[in-house]
Amino acid sequence: MDNFSAVVSSLNGGILINLQLFFTTLLLAIPLGLVITLGSMSKFRPIKWLTQIFVWIIRGTPLMLQLFVVLYAPGLIFDIPMSNRFLAAEIAFVINYACYFSEIYRGGIESIPKGQYEAGEVLGMTRSQIFFKVILLQVIKRITPAMGNEVITLTKDTSLARVIGLTEIIMCAERFTKKGLIWPLFSTGIYFLIMNGILTIVLKRLEKKMDYFRA
Amino acid sequence: MAILEVKGLEKQFGSLEVLKGIDFSLEKGESMALIGASGSGKTTLLRCLNFLERPTGGQIIVNDNVILDVSSQKTLNENEIRKNRLHFGLVFQSFNLFPQYTTLQNVTLAKELLEKDTEDYKKNKKQVLDRIREEGKEILDKVGLSQKLDDYPHQLSGGQQQRVAIARALMLHPDILCFDEPTSALDPELTGEVLKVIRGLAESHTTMVIVTHEMKFAKDVSDQVLFMDQGVIVERGTPEQVFEHPTEERTKQFLQRYFEEK
Repeated sequence: MDNFSAVVSSLNGGILINLQLFFTTLLLAIPLGLVITLGSMSKFRPIKWLTQIFVWIIRGTPLMLQLFVVLYAPGLIFDIPMSNRFLAAEIAFVINYACYFSEIYRGGIESIPKGQYEAGEVLGMTRSQIFFKVILLQVIKRITPAMGNEVITLTKDTSLARVIGLTEIIMCAERFTKKGLIWPLFSTGIYFLIMNGILTIVLKRLEKKMDYFRA
Repeated sequence: MAILEVKGLEKQFGSLEVLKGIDFSLEKGESMALIGASGSGKTTLLRCLNFLERPTGGQIIVNDNVILDVSSQKTLNENEIRKNRLHFGLVFQSFNLFPQYTTLQNVTLAKELLEKDTEDYKKNKKQVLDRIREEGKEILDKVGLSQKLDDYPHQLSGGQQQRVAIARALMLHPDILCFDEPTSALDPELTGEVLKVIRGLAESHTTMVIVTHEMKFAKDVSDQVLFMDQGVIVERGTPEQVFEHPTEERTKQFLQRYFEEK
């Protein structure tokens, strides 16, 4: 019984790290993604190309590798060692996810028919009125399923942070494995299932909320 | 006095000349039908009037004010374009209603946004919004949709959607209302209700430019017909003249082809 409570309190401590990483990443990557979208859709070619190359690099290399780069590069290149491992993980996650989000946003924005913009224009709306009053909600409706996928993937990706020494839930469980206890490792799955069960319900509700119109 | 004068309007896309110097004028309360084969430049002409395309030459004059003059050095900024295009309304072939808004909201949205900057709105917001809503309902009643105020576009038939789109354009009281093949995207049994609304507008002397493939309708409803081919106006006149006694060979061929297919 002692064993059990020790495992539970260790795993609870671990999942807190995952949750922190999850929520802060979401909070920062959602707006940063929009900035990257604006860059990749920019009419000014150099900005467009630079953004697209950046997105290619981030999406084209493993997140695990990016974690190492963020942890070691500042020390190696600028002689300013990265002392905060959580911050390193945070930066890598935000950049990585912002790039994926930006491509989803771009797809969503480009999928809205030109006629929607033109209808707003001939009615004398400004460009920002057209975007915020006409386009945005249609984009949100269209990208919700794809964003849901990314968000669910993010819950599980947070475990990757252990490669740079963050004591998230799986790292906590592995410590018990070394002492001959295997069940703590397997039971971490329950935590993820609960998290994603809740997320699935939230996402369903969000989709339902936008069910009243077709776009 | 002409409400609209178009002089030497040209539009080039790269090396492709779509409009090669269009001249016409329109009196207040008059309706003009624009006919011609696909690719003749009719739609581009409408899009130029509504500032959706930038003409590469010519002038557009509304009520004696030059609202666009390509030869002048001055380029219009976004605000000026916005103000100028409000002289015109445009009903699209594919309706382009806003899917997330109800029938009534589709009609009132633009008006609400325009009023937002006025002093009156800032002081009596509720009254202004009520007034706009009442006007929206009246206009929707005119197009026969007072039963559908709270429906969303996907709940309406194509004919109903197009009538909402007409109401939406009327709401801003444009000097000239333009139609771009308003019935081409509709099932044949739904064109009647839309044409009836446009006919009603013609009877109440709404100034209109109508691009259409419905020749019988064009003949019935218009005061003036322009036949376009390859970016120029080939023939113009009253519906009588153009449909019954065309003088140009190209007009004759076009009409013959059209009525043979029917």
